[in-house]
Amino acid sequence: MAEQIIVNGLLASLIYVLMALGFTLIFGIMRIVNFAHGEFYMVGAMVVLFLFGALGWPFFAAVLAGGLVSGFLGVVVERALFRPLVGDELAGMIMSLAVGVILQSVALLLFGPAEHSVPRPFTGTWSLMDASVPWDRSIVALCALAILAAFYVFLKYARLGLAMQAVAQDPDTATLMGIEPGVVYGSAFGLACLLAGLAGALMAPIYTAGPYMGELPMLKAFVVVILGGLGSLPGAVLGGLLIGLSESIVTTMINSTVALIVSFAIVLLVVVARPSGLMGRALR
Amino acid sequence: MRTRYILLLIAALALLPWLVGGRYVFHLATMITIMIPMALSMNLMLKIGQLSIAQPAFMGIGAYGSALLTIRLGFPPALAMLSGALIAGALAALVGPLFLRIKGVYFVLLTYAFGEIINLVFQEWTSLFGGNNGLYGIPKFSVPGLRLTQPQHYFVFGLLLSALVYWCMRRVERSDIGAIFQSLNEDEMLSRALGSNALSWRIGTFAASAFIAGLSGGLYAFYIGFLSPEAFGFMLSVDLIVINAIGGVGTVLGPVLGAIFIVPLPEILREAREYQLLIYGVCLVVFLIFFRQGLIAIVQRRKADA
Repeated sequence: MAEQIIVNGLLASLIYVLMALGFTLIFGIMRIVNFAHGEFYMVGAMVVLFLFGALGWPFFAAVLAGGLVSGFLGVVVERALFRPLVGDELAGMIMSLAVGVILQSVALLLFGPAEHSVPRPFTGTWSLMDASVPWDRSIVALCALAILAAFYVFLKYARLGLAMQAVAQDPDTATLMGIEPGVVYGSAFGLACLLAGLAGALMAPIYTAGPYMGELPMLKAFVVVILGGLGSLPGAVLGGLLIGLSESIVTTMINSTVALIVSFAIVLLVVVARPSGLMGRALR
Repeated sequence: MRTRYILLLIAALALLPWLVGGRYVFHLATMITIMIPMALSMNLMLKIGQLSIAQPAFMGIGAYGSALLTIRLGFPPALAMLSGALIAGALAALVGPLFLRIKGVYFVLLTYAFGEIINLVFQEWTSLFGGNNGLYGIPKFSVPGLRLTQPQHYFVFGLLLSALVYWCMRRVERSDIGAIFQSLNEDEMLSRALGSNALSWRIGTFAASAFIAGLSGGLYAFYIGFLSPEAFGFMLSVDLIVINAIGGVGTVLGPVLGAIFIVPLPEILREAREYQLLIYGVCLVVFLIFFRQGLIAIVQRRKADA
């Protein structure tokens, strides 16, 4: 029982972390609360639905394509719509609502309101101690770990990754050091959407895919990021693990709605007691 | 002077449902008058520089509160509606001292989480709120000697409520309190140095905005006669933000214009039902990029040119 709860929690939290990292990256660099983040997740899943489900591409090629489409969309949207509003937190937030509405309605026009099921590329379960672990979720978890590792290496060693960290820490000084803010904004937004798209693409066969599928992961990313601290990358990882585990426990004990209430209550307490979150820097 | 013309225009528009006629037109008009106080309640918080996404939750508390007080405890509707709104206001006053220390994006997130919790409670506590199946059997609004049954009755009721809220907010805006609001929004440090008790003002404003949202919720409950949690979800917050952004947040009249423009939009776009949301989103983008001050600025500039 306890092992099963922990395994379920860990599997869920890896996807939360993928979503939350992008969300927090956008906030850390552009000060935009991206309400459209769930829609980029949906875009990734829809691409998989189309390429893997309908055209029969290999699963991993479709996942990669889903991530890339979502990421490219992110770059375009950032340049065209968010760039003019940089510095205005409220306008940026409203713009993200608009982008979310547009993406959702385009998906609605293309695929209809119904939830589609994507064929499962992997089936069966294996057991880890007393817990039974479905193969498809394990593959998702492995992919998520690989993506997280790649993301970490990118931030730590790539010039662009370092530039992103610099802009997040202090945009003015970063500009003085010759970092072009525009390039960093575009690539950070694209990268964040790439992560969300990959998460959605990986999860498409596990749940169903539909225009509204992004709402719940968005909510979770939100909770995770506030808990960990807006703009803090380690915070997103820690928050993802905490929320994944606590939800797994409460869902097993009571049900998933109460689990959501508990998550929001935790967030409420954290914001009131320490607005910058568990790992965030103090408020500016 | 120009505001007066716009108000006259709105008053003329309010007569339109009787000219066009039809139950559905009145329904739409009533929904506009329910959304105007909601949009104004969000606008009131924006006046002190804080975006509250908890307004639909307060509307829900007002709605469920007045419905349950009439059904379960047999309150007369008018008293139930007032009590429901007072409960919403009291809750805001209760959490206010904690919430309003927080500013900017964090306040938005806080009210978001708060609103979601309230909504999830509506969904989960089925024995009291009826859960996702909804709450039925809400009687029609009545005061001794008068019972409101038709949509046009509720439209008149809504008009009165909207006018009252608008008038109060205009009065406040022009008074010393309006000046304090402005100072809180622009330079809180200076405002406090000049002796305004910033936190108390913020809490008072939050409670007042929750009270207004609660009144609007009460009207909604008696008008529709059926309540379900999804009506008070995040989408309503989005609508309110859109109304404020498109109408213009700088003035009290802006959100009123926004509501008149946005609420019937799905109907105007009825022919292109599947494109509704898309057009909605595109409108918002266009306004954000090209008309940041909102509809009110366009109207007033046109008037100035003429």
